[in-house]
Amino acid sequence: MVTLFSYAWFIFLVPIIFAPVSAFAGWRKKVYGGIVASLAIAVSFILAVLVYFNINNTSVPIYQSFNWFGNINAGIYIDHLAIIMALMVSFVSLMIHLFAIYYMKDDPRQNIYFGETALFTGGMLGLILSSNLLEFFLFWELVGVCSYLLVGFWFFKPNAASAAKKAFIVTRVGDLLFIIGLAILYSLLTSINVSSPLSIPYLISNAPKIAGEIGAQNLTIIGLLFLGGAAGKSAQFPLHVWIPDAMEGPTTVSALIHAATMVTAGVYLIARVLPLYSNATYIAPDAVLFVGAFTAMFAGTMGIVMNDLKRILAYSTISQIGYMMASLGMVSVIGDSVIGFSIYHLVVHAVFKALLFMTAGAILIALMELRDVRRMGGLWKKMPVTVTLMFIGSITLAAIPPTAAYFSKDTIIDAAYMYYIRSGASIYSVLPWIFLVIGALMTSLYTFRMFYLVALGKPRSKLAEEARDPPIIALIPLMVLAFLSLTLGIVQYPFYNFIHPNTIHVSVPLIVKYTPLMMVVIGILVIAGVYGTGMWKKMDLSKNIVYRILRAKYYLDYLFTRVIAERTILPLSSGFARMERGFSRDIEATGSGAMGFGSMLRRIQNGIVEYYFVFLIIGVAVIMLILEITGGL
Amino acid sequence: MNNIFINPQLTAMYPEIFLGIVAFAMLLMGKRTHNWKIYTSISIIALLISMVLLIRFDSSYVSYYGGAFLISNFGLYFALIMIVSSLYVAFSAGTTLKDNPEVFFATFLFVNVAMIIAAFSMNLIFIFIAFEGVSVGTYILSAYGKTRRNLEASAKYFFTGIIATGFIVLGSSYYYMATGTFNLISGVPEKGPMLIALILLFVGFGFKLALVPMQQWAVDAYDGTSNPVSAYLSSGTKVLAFFILLRVFLVGFSHFYTDVFYLFVIVSIITMTYGNFAALSENNLKRMLAYSSIAQAGYLILVIAVVSGSSSTFAFTVAIFAAMYYSLVYIFMKGGSFLSVSAVRKDKVEVNDLEGIGIKSPLFAVSLSILMLSLAGIPPTAGFFAKYYLFLSLISGNLWWLAVIGILNSAISVFYYLRVITVMFRKNDSNEFNLSSPVMLPLVLAAILTIGLSFVIFYYPQLSSIVYGLGVMGR
Repeated sequence: MVTLFSYAWFIFLVPIIFAPVSAFAGWRKKVYGGIVASLAIAVSFILAVLVYFNINNTSVPIYQSFNWFGNINAGIYIDHLAIIMALMVSFVSLMIHLFAIYYMKDDPRQNIYFGETALFTGGMLGLILSSNLLEFFLFWELVGVCSYLLVGFWFFKPNAASAAKKAFIVTRVGDLLFIIGLAILYSLLTSINVSSPLSIPYLISNAPKIAGEIGAQNLTIIGLLFLGGAAGKSAQFPLHVWIPDAMEGPTTVSALIHAATMVTAGVYLIARVLPLYSNATYIAPDAVLFVGAFTAMFAGTMGIVMNDLKRILAYSTISQIGYMMASLGMVSVIGDSVIGFSIYHLVVHAVFKALLFMTAGAILIALMELRDVRRMGGLWKKMPVTVTLMFIGSITLAAIPPTAAYFSKDTIIDAAYMYYIRSGASIYSVLPWIFLVIGALMTSLYTFRMFYLVALGKPRSKLAEEARDPPIIALIPLMVLAFLSLTLGIVQYPFYNFIHPNTIHVSVPLIVKYTPLMMVVIGILVIAGVYGTGMWKKMDLSKNIVYRILRAKYYLDYLFTRVIAERTILPLSSGFARMERGFSRDIEATGSGAMGFGSMLRRIQNGIVEYYFVFLIIGVAVIMLILEITGGL
Repeated sequence: MNNIFINPQLTAMYPEIFLGIVAFAMLLMGKRTHNWKIYTSISIIALLISMVLLIRFDSSYVSYYGGAFLISNFGLYFALIMIVSSLYVAFSAGTTLKDNPEVFFATFLFVNVAMIIAAFSMNLIFIFIAFEGVSVGTYILSAYGKTRRNLEASAKYFFTGIIATGFIVLGSSYYYMATGTFNLISGVPEKGPMLIALILLFVGFGFKLALVPMQQWAVDAYDGTSNPVSAYLSSGTKVLAFFILLRVFLVGFSHFYTDVFYLFVIVSIITMTYGNFAALSENNLKRMLAYSSIAQAGYLILVIAVVSGSSSTFAFTVAIFAAMYYSLVYIFMKGGSFLSVSAVRKDKVEVNDLEGIGIKSPLFAVSLSILMLSLAGIPPTAGFFAKYYLFLSLISGNLWWLAVIGILNSAISVFYYLRVITVMFRKNDSNEFNLSSPVMLPLVLAAILTIGLSFVIFYYPQLSSIVYGLGVMGR
């Protein structure tokens, strides 16, 4: 049978093929690199739109695969979930690429940059369209490598080089858990004679059967391991430590990889195999819920005290991904509708976070990479267009109606309340809702603190006084994103129903419904009180214990680098190294001993025939003696 | 009427007779011409024809001359191996001869006559005569060149060789005392004289194989003679000695060799260890190769140890197969590496004199590297498979401890083999090399064969069937 090679393959193949092309095209004239990469991704986007209409009409997933090796089939599987992700990734990536042509215009290695980002986009799209978890894992690693390369793109900055390493190593911990989970799943499914054990369509459609055959406990273990992988990639507690450092890369990279696309791969992984979670014991989805909800609050608290513009946004990203994770974790009580909630917030977040990061990028270019918000101020007057765009991004982030995030985020918070009610109203089950509501407060606090410090007041440095808007043409992609972040709310329920037909409507008491909004208002009031009055300049928080804990990022970096790495692993490894050295010294002694022994043996070989005969007679006598002893003779 | 020319007793000797006639003809031709190229081509063609004649034999299990001459596939296999090694050496020997090439090549052909006879002999007198024919021939060959070093090497080789002859004669007479015949296939004799005969013959034949404690002539002789002759001494005659040891012990002493298991084990371990350790610190390339050749003989003797030490038929078959395969590979890897020494224009070649050859001629360096890797037993070379079957036979014969010793020895040997490779790829412009075709061609051929012969193991069933031609059908 000849299957027609679906054009959907080219959604991810085109950027991968054009990655080296754009790197080479930009060799002579630098700007070509960006143009080729953008065109390739535009092609991906157009193809994704075509596939979208195709799927929307037929409602049949596109599934093409071929036998790769053994019982592993590789190919593409595009259902509603995948095509939405593909649309989002290709679109946001296109916008960011267009802006990057401006942002990277003075970089001597921009062709390499565009090659790498095109490769990254291809890898990300491949990950989304994979039909097999092993293939998924390979693309997962590919985007990890691209992230490493791009974070360390300015490798001559020591910070960037070490941040790239940190990002790579921390996500590697998660990847290890992920592949252990894959291995367990594979071996269990092979033992019950499944023809293609890691195929995603198989896993999705046969989840209850799998749970019955290999046991819900095993599925829980697998789910927890997958959560470990997702937490590494999506920067969830406690593996979130790499993202703030990853901000050392170019800002467009932060926008593309560490805000909009790659960090959501973990969410996508769990959404992809969500049926496995819903058929596992309650521990697996609850772990997702609690990790997500806790991270949403936890990262927000750290965002409040950061002074680095990009790091504020980084913590905000961690926090927002926490919302998506938490939403997925409610699957055991609310049902499969949560995928819609989660992915909707994912898409909205990608749009406004890419917008925020790119406005930050525009500001950083104007301020010569000055990233300390305390030294900005008054930029709304200096660069009105950029900061207006940032304002739109900020109110979306804070979820003020009628921006898109209001619909997406508040639905998740309300769903958490519904989780509380439906799962028996215990203290345990109210925690996620509380975490998420506090998270909303934190979001409001850090968002408006950031916005106030950046945009209002008087310029607090010479650079800020001389800041100018970038050319309007460079800001067009940002305007598109701003428009979307204001209007995406309209498609809320169509979106939910596209992802999951007949999504339930979340209905909660009015007082609960308005709680998040009240949190936002409280946040605005606090910020207005502290910053609007200039009080923050007089406050000395360095003695305050809470402030110090937050500034030290809960001492998690300290725990990881000092306690675990330096106190535990380094002594252990130096112990091994000492053993190794001793061993190799012994080896060397053996070697020189052998050489000495050999020289001694060669002394017998002195060239005098008479001695040879003596040696011979002694030898024959010894042979006779041996035979006598061993009993032959 | 019986035509004498189709009498099987005569046809069986055709290759020997043919080679002998050619040799005499060459001596006569020496009156007219001294061009070594003519003699090289004549002897190569003669050897090829004799190979054809050998293969034309009815190779079934037939014996002539009252059991003294046994035509079998097993003997044929070794006879072919020895002629191939002669061919190989004959190709490159001509350039090193200064005068009277016809004498050299005639002697060479006489040696081959003796070798072919030895390959089919089943009688100690026959074996003795053939073996001495080879010995005397090689004494002459090693003296060729007439420099002081050649003569010294030849003298040492000659004196120790005479001692060996003495041992063989003494051992044969003890054998006769015990059995009343010189024929290897005999009844069940007395034990005492048989064991004494066994030891004496082992010492006598072990000389050519350079087993410790009979090894000392080897290093000096290999070092002193010209490169093609040392290649021949370490490949062709060594295989002959090994073959005779196999035949004498497995046929003649088939009731007794199990009693002297430890003799073979100890000699083998000492030989391997001595060769490898002495080679470690040797800087002279040829002497290093000589020590390595001693070590290789130690591996070969392991085969007899397996046969005497284990009662498993599988181990026995694998061991003999390993011996056959090892011999085949051995002549190329050892012969090729000795011939490669000619590439350095120097009298006493140090290992370091190979510096820079990797840049001048990558082909040479890569070929020699392959030979070295093969000697060290590193896959995918044929040397690896030879050692693999050897150790497989040890393990399947429950002699795993011996296998461990063998493998440790191999590990030690890797050091000095790899040293040659690293030296070759260093930079040095001061060394001068002779990269003419008589040097390059045998080496490259040997390298190709050491890779290519690893495919022979796929014919394992066919080859192992030859094992039964050995003459020990009972086991």
